[in-house]
Amino acid sequence: MNKRRKFADDVRTVVTWLSTSISVIVLAAIFVFVFSRGWNTLSWDVLMSDYHPENMLVEFSDGTPGHFERPADLDDADVFSEKYGFALRDEIDHRKQHLMVLTYIADDSPLRDAVFAGSGPRKGDKITVMEDMQIRRFDYMSEARGRKSPAGFMGNQKTADETIERIETDGSALIGMFYQSTGGGMRGSLVATLMLIGLTLVIALPIGIAAAVYLHELAPKNKFTSVIRSFIEMLSGVPSIVFGLMGMTMLFSVTALFGITTQSILLGALTLSVILFPVIIRQTEEALIVVPDGLRMASLSLGSSHTQMIFKVILPNALPGILTATLLSISRIIGESAALIYTMGVAINDHPEIGRSGTSLAVQIWTVMTGEQPNFELASAISIVILIMVLVLNLTVKGISSRLNRKWRT
Amino acid sequence: MRTLPIHPGYQRRKKIIDLIARAIFLLAGLIAAAMIVLIFVFVAGRGIQVFMPGYEGRQDLGTFLTGMRWRPDLTPPVYSVLFIIINTITTALGAAILSFPLSVLTALFIVKVAPKGLRVFFTTVVEILAAIPSVVYGVFAAGSITTLVSKLAGMFGQSTYGGSSMLAVIILLAIMIFPTITSLSIVSIASVDRNLELGSLALGASRMETNFKVILTSAKSGIFAGLILGLGRAFGEATAVTMVAGNKLFGPTFNLFDTTRTLTTTMLSGLSETSGVDYDIRFSIGVVLMVVILLTNLAIRLVKKSIGGVTNE
Repeated sequence: MNKRRKFADDVRTVVTWLSTSISVIVLAAIFVFVFSRGWNTLSWDVLMSDYHPENMLVEFSDGTPGHFERPADLDDADVFSEKYGFALRDEIDHRKQHLMVLTYIADDSPLRDAVFAGSGPRKGDKITVMEDMQIRRFDYMSEARGRKSPAGFMGNQKTADETIERIETDGSALIGMFYQSTGGGMRGSLVATLMLIGLTLVIALPIGIAAAVYLHELAPKNKFTSVIRSFIEMLSGVPSIVFGLMGMTMLFSVTALFGITTQSILLGALTLSVILFPVIIRQTEEALIVVPDGLRMASLSLGSSHTQMIFKVILPNALPGILTATLLSISRIIGESAALIYTMGVAINDHPEIGRSGTSLAVQIWTVMTGEQPNFELASAISIVILIMVLVLNLTVKGISSRLNRKWRT
Repeated sequence: MRTLPIHPGYQRRKKIIDLIARAIFLLAGLIAAAMIVLIFVFVAGRGIQVFMPGYEGRQDLGTFLTGMRWRPDLTPPVYSVLFIIINTITTALGAAILSFPLSVLTALFIVKVAPKGLRVFFTTVVEILAAIPSVVYGVFAAGSITTLVSKLAGMFGQSTYGGSSMLAVIILLAIMIFPTITSLSIVSIASVDRNLELGSLALGASRMETNFKVILTSAKSGIFAGLILGLGRAFGEATAVTMVAGNKLFGPTFNLFDTTRTLTTTMLSGLSETSGVDYDIRFSIGVVLMVVILLTNLAIRLVKKSIGGVTNE
C-alpha cells in the first residue's frame, strides 16, 4: 500500500471516530444539563407534593407564648422564635420572588394546634401545619395597639428576622396565620402517568397481542393479510401530533359514551393505545417468530385445537417477548407529549381522575416550560425522573432480549 | 393417570371455540388496521370543513395554500401555510444534511471499525439517545442550544430572540433524528453480504476503502430507509421544536438566526381555543403535514432509484 492510500485510509478512520464521538458528547451534554439544572430541585417533597400552592388561613387554639430552646441542628440561616417555638427562613423562588418558609416547628409549639379559619365547609376543621409552608402573614395580639395586628409580608415586615422580632417584642399572643403550601410538585402528574400507563396497557395489550397472533399464527398468506400488515405498518409512520388530532375527533365520541365531556385521561389512554398498536404487534410477532415450529406441531399432534395451542403453548413461550413489548410501551407512554397535549389537556391537575383532564409528567414539563416564566428547574427535575424511568425500562428490555436470544439458541 | 372422557360433542365444541377465537383474533387485527384509515377519514374530514360553503368564517383554499402570513390575531384572521410548509421542509432538510453523514459514519464505525469492547458501549449510546423523550430534548434545547445559538449569532453580529431561531430548530432536529438514521443504518450495514467484503479485500482494496466504497454502497437501501424515517420524525416532531422555534407570523424564514414557524408548532400554538376556525384549522394543517410527509417519502424513493440499483432488499 502506498503512502497516499494509507493516508486516505487513516483520514477515513479518524472521521468515523470523530462522528461517533459527537453522539457521545451530545448524550453527555444532555445528561449534564438536565442533572445540573434539576438535581437540586428534585427531592422527595417535590415528588410527593401538589403543583398548585394552596392558600390557608388558620387560627391557633392556644397562642400564648412559652419558652422554647433553639434546636442544635437548626441551620444558621433559620431564624428561631424562642417564644413560639418555630423557625423561619428567607428564600427566593424560581420567579425571583422573596419567600418566608417555615422550616421547623417544635412539638408543643402553638402552631401545632391550629384550626381552619377561612370561609367554607372546612371552617373549624383541625389543620396540621407542616414544615416547608410559605408564610404570608401572622396575626398576633399587639400590645402597643391593643388589637389584632398583622406581621410578615402582609404586615410591614419583609424578612424572617423582622417578622419574628415583631411578634416577639410587640405581641402578647399569636392568633393565627395565613400561609401557602409551597407547590411546584409533581405528585398529580405522577399519579396521572401511572393511571395512563395502566389504562393504556389494559386497552392496547389485548388487542395488540391478539392482532399479532392473528397475523402470525392464523392469517392465510394472501393479499388481504398483507394489506392489513401494511396498514398497521403505516400507523407507525404517523406523527404523534396527528394521533392527537384523531383523539380529539374520533375517540372523543368514544369517551362521550362514558359521559365524559372534556379532555380526559381515558381519552389520552385510548389515543396512546392506537399509537402503541404497531409497537406491540411488531414486538409480539418477533417473539412468536422465535417460538420453534416443533412446539406447534407437537401440540397439534397431541390433539389440541388451535385455540388450545395458542393459549397453552405459544403465548406462554412468547411471554418474554410480550414483556418486552409491555416495557417498551410503558417507556413510550412516559415520553409521549404531543398527542397527550391535545387529548389530556395542559392544565396540571393535583387530583387526577380517569374522567377528568390532567397532565402526565411529560406534559407537565411542557406546561411549565411554555408558561410566561419557563421554570427550567422544575422541568429538569421532572426530566430526571422521566430519564431514569425510561433508561431503566430500556436497559431491562435489553437484558430480557439478550437472555431470550440465548434461550432459543442453545 | 386420568383418562380423558370422550364426549360426542367434544370435537364439535373444540371446533366452535376455535371459530370464535379465530373471529376475535381477526377482529383485533382489523381494529388495528382500520385505525390508519379512520385517522385519514376523521382528520381530513374535519380539515376540509373550514373550506366548505356554509362554514362560519369560511376560509379560501387558495389563500390557505399560497399565502405567506399566519395572523389569527387580525380581523378577519388570515391563515395561510405556504411559508410554513417551506419552513418545515427547510428545517427538516437542514437537520438531515447535518445529521445524515454523521449517522452513517457512526453506524459504519459501530459495525466495522470500533474495537469489539467499545461496540456495545456505542450501540447503547445510540439506543439511549433514541429512548430520550422529545420533551426532554426540548428542555435541553431551550436551555442550552438556544444559548449556543445566541452566542454564535453574536459572533456574526446578528441578534436572536433569546436564541429561538431556525438554527436552534435545525440543531435540535439533527440530534433527534440522529439515532433513528443510525440504528437503521447499523442494521443495514451489518446485513451486507460478507462475501462482497471479502471479495473487495481480496482484490487488494484496503479495509477502509472496502468500508466506504463497497459496504456503504451495498447498504444504501437500508440507509435511505433510515433517512426517510428520520425525515418523518423531523417533520412530525412537535413539542421540542415549539420550545425553540419562536413562531414567526410571516415568512418564509431563510435567515438561520431568525425565528421560524413549522407546521407542528402552528398546530400547538393557541391551544386554548376549543371551537371555531382557530380550532378546526389545525386539522387542515394536520392534513397538510401528512401530505408533506408522503410527498417527501416519494421524492426520496425517486432519488434512491436514480442513484442506482438496489442490492440488498
